[in-house]
Amino acid sequence: MIQLHDYPLSGNCFKVRFLMDQLDLDYQSTLVDFYPGYEHKSPRFLKINPLGQLPVIEDNGQTIRDAQAILVYLATAYDTSGTWFPRDRQGEIYQWLAFADELTGSISAARLHDAMFYSLDVAKARARGTKLLRIVDEHLWFTEKDGHDWLVPLPHPTIADVACLPYIALAEEGGIDLAPYPSVARWMERFMRLEKFKPMPGMMPLEMPKETP
Amino acid sequence: MIGDKDIALWRGEDGKIRAWENRCPHRGMRLSYGIVRGNTLTCLYHGWSYDGTGGCAGIPAHPDLTPPKTIRTKVYRAADSGGMIWVANPEEATEVPAIDGAWAPNRSIHVDVAPANIAALTEGIGAELQSKITDHAAILRVPNIEEDILVAFLDMKEHGAMIHTAVPAKATEAVAIAVSKLSTHLRQVFKASSAA
Ligand code: FES
Repeated sequence: MIQLHDYPLSGNCFKVRFLMDQLDLDYQSTLVDFYPGYEHKSPRFLKINPLGQLPVIEDNGQTIRDAQAILVYLATAYDTSGTWFPRDRQGEIYQWLAFADELTGSISAARLHDAMFYSLDVAKARARGTKLLRIVDEHLWFTEKDGHDWLVPLPHPTIADVACLPYIALAEEGGIDLAPYPSVARWMERFMRLEKFKPMPGMMPLEMPKETP
Repeated sequence: MIGDKDIALWRGEDGKIRAWENRCPHRGMRLSYGIVRGNTLTCLYHGWSYDGTGGCAGIPAHPDLTPPKTIRTKVYRAADSGGMIWVANPEEATEVPAIDGAWAPNRSIHVDVAPANIAALTEGIGAELQSKITDHAAILRVPNIEEDILVAFLDMKEHGAMIHTAVPAKATEAVAIAVSKLSTHLRQVFKASSAA
């Protein structure tokens, strides 16, 4: 079974959980106390990932780190439908995976600053995040105009969407207002309506949670 | 946002648009995170729900209680017109404008610096004013675009502005794309200058 070194509040871990759920994979999640425990910087964890970052998966004797790399690995190894990482669109998809790294370096950094008190230049991170949101909003406006719903214009989502979704959806936790990006809002809503989508803390649900008051 | 007031906009099953102060009368949660069912809006925090007129319609913790009439959200006048949603500024006795013809919404973009007025926006676009609708909206004629366009902006003071465009419903795809590109270009026009 796949082992996931996981943290519920991490957008990067969300990506991996989301794809494994979509692919109906069995996995076991080991929780790492990221904050306030900083367990990902502990000697024990550094043996698993010398970069001290989450997520990491262990599968069939391989250890793979980096959310985007894990998405590529899982889709290549387990996606029998071939829709999440289609062969003929890999260039475009890699472009968005790199974009997702930029989101991690900006919006996610702003969020770490606001929610977990990391010290960094938050104004710079927000400005960069705003720039990226403008780019993706514009891209999605033109894709919608052509009748497409997803970052890579195909009739279904790909790992490009999975990689970019969480830190955009969590932007408000980093003090970045999402109201100016209507195409992004529509794309997020389509994503959150996908089957088996489970929001992570900080993502606003579309339906009222069904529990007793 | 209207001035410095945050607004929650929502539409019920009846299709009517509503603009409320973005603040739940219970504990102040943002109502924009709430959930719409039929013609009521339910606050995400403790589940108080409000009917289409802003009156409290139910409190889950007290299912048998008919909520007192005094629990109400602050309601602004709002309407659809010209492919956009208009909310009247409560400080001014403005009416929601009636705009002739059928319009299709085009782009909504954020600019860093709000245009001083509709004349400045018209000039920034490089367009000619056809008819002024309000201090913040007008129908414009743009060189090289074969249809008149509807432009409105929402001044968010130090937070810049949102600029919304609409094109006639019968406009071609090419017009829609040209107007969208024009909108993107406005970010360059209304950006913070680094010069003091
Ligand atoms: S704050 Fe809205 S129900 Fe409590």
